[in-house]
Amino acid sequence: MASVTISNIRKSYGGLEVLHGIDLSVANGEFVVLLGPSGCGKSTLLRMVAGLEAINSGQISIGNVVVNDLHPKDRNIAMVFQNYALYAHLSVFDNMAFSMQLRKLPKDEIRRKVEWAASILNLTPYLDRQPRQLSGGQRQRVAMGRAIVRDPSVFLFDEPLSNLDAKLRVQMRTEIKELHHKLSTTIIYVTHDQIEAMTMADTIVVLRDGNIEQIGKPLEIYDRPANLFVAEFIGSPSMNFLSGEVGAEAGRPVVRANGVTLPLPLDAKVTAGQIVKYGIRPEHLRPGAGSEGIPAKVSVVEPTGPEIHIYADIGGQEVCSITQDRLELSPDDPIRLVPALDKIRLFEPATGKVINGPDESRPRTLLRA
Amino acid sequence: MQETFWQKRLRDVAAVLVVGLFMFPLFWWALTSFKPTSAIFDKDGIVWFDFKPTLVNYAVTMLGKSRAELAIESGNTFGIGGASSYDSRQTIIDSLIVAVGSTALTVLLAVMAAYALSRMRFFGRQAYLNWILSQRFMPPIAIIVPVVFMFHYMSLLDTRLGLVIVDTLINLPIAVLLMKSFYDDVPADVDEAAMIDGATRLQIFRRVVLPMVKGGVAATAVLCFIFSWTEFLLSLFLTNSIRTLPVKITTFVTSTGSEWGFIAALGTTAVIPSFIFILLVQKQLVRGLTLGSLKE
Repeated sequence: MASVTISNIRKSYGGLEVLHGIDLSVANGEFVVLLGPSGCGKSTLLRMVAGLEAINSGQISIGNVVVNDLHPKDRNIAMVFQNYALYAHLSVFDNMAFSMQLRKLPKDEIRRKVEWAASILNLTPYLDRQPRQLSGGQRQRVAMGRAIVRDPSVFLFDEPLSNLDAKLRVQMRTEIKELHHKLSTTIIYVTHDQIEAMTMADTIVVLRDGNIEQIGKPLEIYDRPANLFVAEFIGSPSMNFLSGEVGAEAGRPVVRANGVTLPLPLDAKVTAGQIVKYGIRPEHLRPGAGSEGIPAKVSVVEPTGPEIHIYADIGGQEVCSITQDRLELSPDDPIRLVPALDKIRLFEPATGKVINGPDESRPRTLLRA
Repeated sequence: MQETFWQKRLRDVAAVLVVGLFMFPLFWWALTSFKPTSAIFDKDGIVWFDFKPTLVNYAVTMLGKSRAELAIESGNTFGIGGASSYDSRQTIIDSLIVAVGSTALTVLLAVMAAYALSRMRFFGRQAYLNWILSQRFMPPIAIIVPVVFMFHYMSLLDTRLGLVIVDTLINLPIAVLLMKSFYDDVPADVDEAAMIDGATRLQIFRRVVLPMVKGGVAATAVLCFIFSWTEFLLSLFLTNSIRTLPVKITTFVTSTGSEWGFIAALGTTAVIPSFIFILLVQKQLVRGLTLGSLKE
């Protein structure tokens, strides 16, 4: 086990810089997920930690050792790839034993370790099989087995679940989390799937275009996104954004959007005339009773089972509202939507930065405890 | 789409017809090799099975008997003529040495060159690949004269080694390109996984990637062997006393007539080594041709 420190890492291909000075520290035993859309540089960063990509500038340390110039095999890391990268000609046993055979460990020790890994990953009945005789989930478990027999100080996962079908993905998610719990090894995990990130991570690092957008615990990132990008990227259905201008009504600050008045909390730090993006998550925008709330018109209703997703039109801008009430609604019905005032996030349209968060003043440590 | 009963039958019939079409010349050649001269040249028409099978043609080409000897032994002196230069045993040995040698050398060089071309990024890589490909466009006849001179100065004319080298040179481009495509089908992640597992470049090549492209190696080897086994033009120009099979067979067309019986016997015999070789690597060959299904 070891911590990982990444400081001011830059990477360019030809003249194109893809990572613009990344700083990140991963504590010993922490499960860190690098999350971002494709092309954001998350895999490149992971591969630099693994030693598969050269570092243009900056420094990566594992434990207290600077590994910039170390060969991958000397970094004591293990990596699980998206397409499993199994040795197709070797049995499951030999796939897992390969690294130990290279190090010329005694045969009985190799057998003991492979059997231990196989028992953790439920692969014991398959040790003599060839990879092609296994299902996708089993193959990925072999890849993980190959990683854990080495007892590495850091596990690196590069989108390991992307090739699996939806059901298996959910199952493997749990398995990886359990594995982390059992082994408590430091894990750096790359994915573009925000659900994977939310469910597994101790800490999520949101990346975009080679920059870190936000670092935080999953719920912290969900509840208090630092900018428009993070707010939009995390959450499904994603946060509603309504463009408008700050005004005042009956002594309260409000946002006016296409003739519709959107309420703001009393302590919102805004000035009249300011152009803002008004952000509210679907589950915080509930259908209201009577005349309270923002007037809207239903466009689509999607019952998902536990809840109903109502897509509605507020002054020409589409929003989504989620409710668990069994409402009978059809398209074009008038509806009133009530935002939870303490959950509203305002963003500056030009920079995407958050202007005002109702929780901003609250000390972060309080929430962490 | 569900096939109807008749569609299935029709397909079977078509398959049999195609195989028959391709097999017929081989069959006819083999049949001819067992015919006496009188049955090969029958003035009344084509002889199918109405002849007394004989091994004379094989005795002459494979056992080195002269026709005169055989005629005296059998008491039938019809059509005696020509010297005993039809003995082809040395030819088969020479051809085997050249084909096996050049196949081994080509595959050895190609598996390494193709691995580097598939995995390593170096300056001029694409240009180099294009250059290799361009070698394939070059007809051997275009270089035959300079090659003869070069071989003369290197004392490689009329040597088996010379033929091994020249066949390797001709085969190498296609072998490298073919092997590269097999390596390209193995994800680079596999190399990287092995690298992280602690393998050196050489270990990755020998213990991980090469075993995964076994099928490709088999396919490449078969291709090289068949080319070398049937290569005519270069052997003709570069040898004098050493005769490979295709060249030897042409000598059976003499000023006094073509020895069809001997040609057929030697031609039939010549199929056997390729057949055995393909049989040996058949399992790998099928895997090589279906490598795609192993990936995912």
